[in-house]
Amino acid sequence: MPASLLGPYSRTILAAAVLLITLGFALSGARGEVHNGLLPFFEWLETTWFGVAGKTWGAVFATVQSVHLLGLALLGGAVLAAEGRLLNVILTDTPRELVCSRCNRVFDIAMITLVATGVFMACGVAVKIYYLPVYWYKMLGLAAGALFHYFVRNPVLAQDLENVNPWLLKAMAVASIMVWFTVAATGRWIGFSG
Amino acid sequence: MFNQLIHNIAIWLDDTRWSTMLHESYYMYNWVESTHVLTLMVSLGMLFLIDLRMLGLALPDVPASTIARRLNLPMLVGFTVMVVTGLLLFYAVPVRSSQSIWMRIKLVLMLGLLINAVLFHRRMSEAGSGWDAQPRAPRNLRLGAMFSLAGWSVVVTCGRFIAYDWFDCQYMDPGLMSSLAGCIEGQTRF
Repeated sequence: MPASLLGPYSRTILAAAVLLITLGFALSGARGEVHNGLLPFFEWLETTWFGVAGKTWGAVFATVQSVHLLGLALLGGAVLAAEGRLLNVILTDTPRELVCSRCNRVFDIAMITLVATGVFMACGVAVKIYYLPVYWYKMLGLAAGALFHYFVRNPVLAQDLENVNPWLLKAMAVASIMVWFTVAATGRWIGFSG
Repeated sequence: MFNQLIHNIAIWLDDTRWSTMLHESYYMYNWVESTHVLTLMVSLGMLFLIDLRMLGLALPDVPASTIARRLNLPMLVGFTVMVVTGLLLFYAVPVRSSQSIWMRIKLVLMLGLLINAVLFHRRMSEAGSGWDAQPRAPRNLRLGAMFSLAGWSVVVTCGRFIAYDWFDCQYMDPGLMSSLAGCIEGQTRF
């Protein structure tokens, strides 16, 4: 079985491999070719129902932006409460496992909201964002964050935390806060660019 | 009269050197605005967790009073940063901001939400701890949480709408909306 060959850290190793492949891709000439090849897809996005609605009705676009921000607030709450608990700064009188697992549910709902509204918003301004480097930084950050959350952080937290090095938990919490605030900041910066 | 007074104060603020410097500085203005938006993750993030806990929709098996007590401090820190950056944003563009219908709705709602928060805390201490381990809070606390969730969602929406020029004074004819937004007939600065 491939999973057993990689030992108990199979998902972590796979996530690291994906990260390395992504870095190799980013630094190679293949990136430019793929970027050029994606233009027709982004042009098509603007012709979809979402794209037309986003471009035609400014109020709809602005309302979806607001829902996106509300999803961001919820994601921030879930991340800060869970990671704050791992860092022993908030909810210290509640078991870590309980806080993290309950916050994960909130995180998932926030993520679904953010992706759904994000796709709608992207359709309305697809060609514009295609040419914005900061949009691609955000997508890279989002992919790294999602991989980290689901394939590194969650498997570690699924173990008995008494057997996990406390510094690893703290480092993971700091990394999680940093990656999600970076994704949010690059998202905000899209609005200032172009 | 009220609108004229607000307009005069806005003009006075707009004439100050720091206001011009702030809104003319691409990076400084954007940093302040980004901080204002990103602090949502701290302030509203914590507030939403508290409200959702009261409704039994998040962390239902963590005592409600623990959630409210422990998340209060980071929430207040977030709100403080948000208020400071919000005031700076207003100061950077005072005339347009003071004549935004969305800004006015936002401020009135925030006042209502502040009263709701005070009432919520009072009701919480009156309710005692008998319900603490229950997944849902008593009815009056749930109503407060629902009002808070809905109110802050509208505040965020109004905040987002401020960026759009749908009801800016230079595009509106005199009338109810124009007067609610605080437009002054014959004004030359926007």
